[in-house]
Amino acid sequence: MTFNDRIFGVLMIVLAVAYGWAATQFPEPFGGAEAVGPDTFPKLLAIVLALSSLYLIVRPDPDNAWPWSRTGIELIIAVGVLLLYAMLLQPLGFIISTTLAVGTLCWRMGAPPVNAYITGAVSGVVVYFLFSFALDLALPLGLLSFLEVN
Amino acid sequence: METLGYLMDGFGVALQPHNLMFALLGAFLGTLIGALPGLGPANGVAILIPLAFSLGLAPETALIMLTSVYAGAMYGGRISSILLNIPGDEPAMMTCLDGYPMAQKGKASEALAISAVASFVGSLIATIGLILLAPLLANFALTFGPAEYFALFLLAFATLGGITGKNPIKTVVAACIGLMIATVGIDNTGVPRYTFGVLELFEGVDFIIAIVGLFAISELLFFIEERAGGGKEKMQVNRLSLSWKDIRDILPTSFRGGVLGFVAGVLPGAGASLGSFISYTLEKRVLGKKGYFGQGDPRGVAAPEAGNNAASSGALVPMLTLGVPGSGTTAVLLALLISLNITPGPLMFTQNADIVWGVIAALLIGNFLLLVLNIPLVGIFVKLLSVPPMYLLPIVTMVAFVGIYSISNTIFDLYFMVAFGVGGYVLRKLEIPLVPVILGLLLGPEMEKNLRHAMDISDGDWMILWDSGLAIGLWVFAALGLILPYIVGPILRRRMKAPTEGTPESD
Repeated sequence: MTFNDRIFGVLMIVLAVAYGWAATQFPEPFGGAEAVGPDTFPKLLAIVLALSSLYLIVRPDPDNAWPWSRTGIELIIAVGVLLLYAMLLQPLGFIISTTLAVGTLCWRMGAPPVNAYITGAVSGVVVYFLFSFALDLALPLGLLSFLEVN
Repeated sequence: METLGYLMDGFGVALQPHNLMFALLGAFLGTLIGALPGLGPANGVAILIPLAFSLGLAPETALIMLTSVYAGAMYGGRISSILLNIPGDEPAMMTCLDGYPMAQKGKASEALAISAVASFVGSLIATIGLILLAPLLANFALTFGPAEYFALFLLAFATLGGITGKNPIKTVVAACIGLMIATVGIDNTGVPRYTFGVLELFEGVDFIIAIVGLFAISELLFFIEERAGGGKEKMQVNRLSLSWKDIRDILPTSFRGGVLGFVAGVLPGAGASLGSFISYTLEKRVLGKKGYFGQGDPRGVAAPEAGNNAASSGALVPMLTLGVPGSGTTAVLLALLISLNITPGPLMFTQNADIVWGVIAALLIGNFLLLVLNIPLVGIFVKLLSVPPMYLLPIVTMVAFVGIYSISNTIFDLYFMVAFGVGGYVLRKLEIPLVPVILGLLLGPEMEKNLRHAMDISDGDWMILWDSGLAIGLWVFAALGLILPYIVGPILRRRMKAPTEGTPESD
């Protein structure tokens, strides 16, 4: 099967065309037109990318299998955990969000849940104290901010 | 003898107590990074960059620490090759051939010690080579004009895949993607490009975020997919019994391996994998029937180890003198230089002499530290090797999060990093190499600037790009870099594959 490279090649040609077209829309720089304006380099890139993508479509490599089914779901879970981690880092605070994120990742990668969340909690606390005391950098405390001592 | 004076100044910088301390820390972390599964050298150095920033280290200290990490990672790669027959990174592949049989014969600690000595000899030779060659090359590079630099950047991209690379066109695609990302933001003339009105994009994409995302996050996803979280069997290490004679026996081998490795490291397109491969094959030829390669010959451990360590030090030559890295890890070190506001290239040798020579001196000191660290502490590294990735990788990911967050304290950067991670995973699945993407991100602005300067000089005549003999030479080599893999690539790859089966994905 050689779908991957072909589809990727088509997508990249679309990108190259869109990117090159956008370059033609740049306003002229303040000092007037120059030999190499803001659009020259992007246009070159668009041409090179379009040509090399065309090659990928014509002579694609054999496919690597994509992880469908369960592994695919695990991957989506992992990405979801990472996004939630980023989202909750400030509201929940570093220690709690790290416990949840690292714990869930360890668990989904095959660790027993209890060990997983203990790993998460310990790593969160250790890194928090390392950052606040040894490196003097403030990580958000969030829900635990009542513990804060000044 | 000017060089010697600079080197002495360099030692003055590197021997300051806090620099020495960070060199030691770097060497230790580096060995760990090299030894642990799923943490290649490029990946490890990338994760440590934001931390070096948040520590607020002086530029030379940050560089010294991360060069020690780099050197240490090359040492560490051999531990899992020897004990588990699983190379930590691609250059360590050849070490498996004789290292693992030695371990099976109950000579694991001898194999580890021999490889440490060979690594030391290889690095030492290459560092001396670096000291001799770098100033010469830097002087020569002063004659480069913008057109030559533009051609040189192309050469760097063209040879990045190496002559053993699989599909050079994929390198080109990857480089284009990187360069395109680099054009996001306000350009030199003040025109915002591809920002879509998003405020965070006006300053461009921070390449550190991109690097950490591409390496660290995509690695996590790969491990999840391969369900490799369980880790490996534990390996027992015997008590070390090594005589002087054993060490003396491998010295000529290490010496030859070191010289070959250095040459492979300096040349564009060769790299550490080829360095260790050439050293091993040559050694096999030289010794002929006298060796028992493949069945646990100590010289079969020494040759590739000396080769790959020498190559990784050799790879610093083009990075420091020309500002053009030839491998993933040196690209990451270049990222560090750029973010410290140091312009790599020939001028660095005059303008930032203390930093350059401090780093070179640190490399020498780091080598001694690594040798001292590696022989007695090997037991600790072996213990850490048995930490299963299912605990390790989430923690590494967390450290990456903290590092990126601590640079700017914005959540936007974290989303960006995750997006790069997913993108990196998809690209790796398609066998599009990630290193050219990163190099594109790093070199993009410089490349455009040089193109612009060249055009300004010639008043818009594109012929200037191949107007000088030097520029033509660079273009020819760049073209060869793309064409040769189609011709000699399959042959070389088959030779390298023949003795080892199933090598893990690496940069």
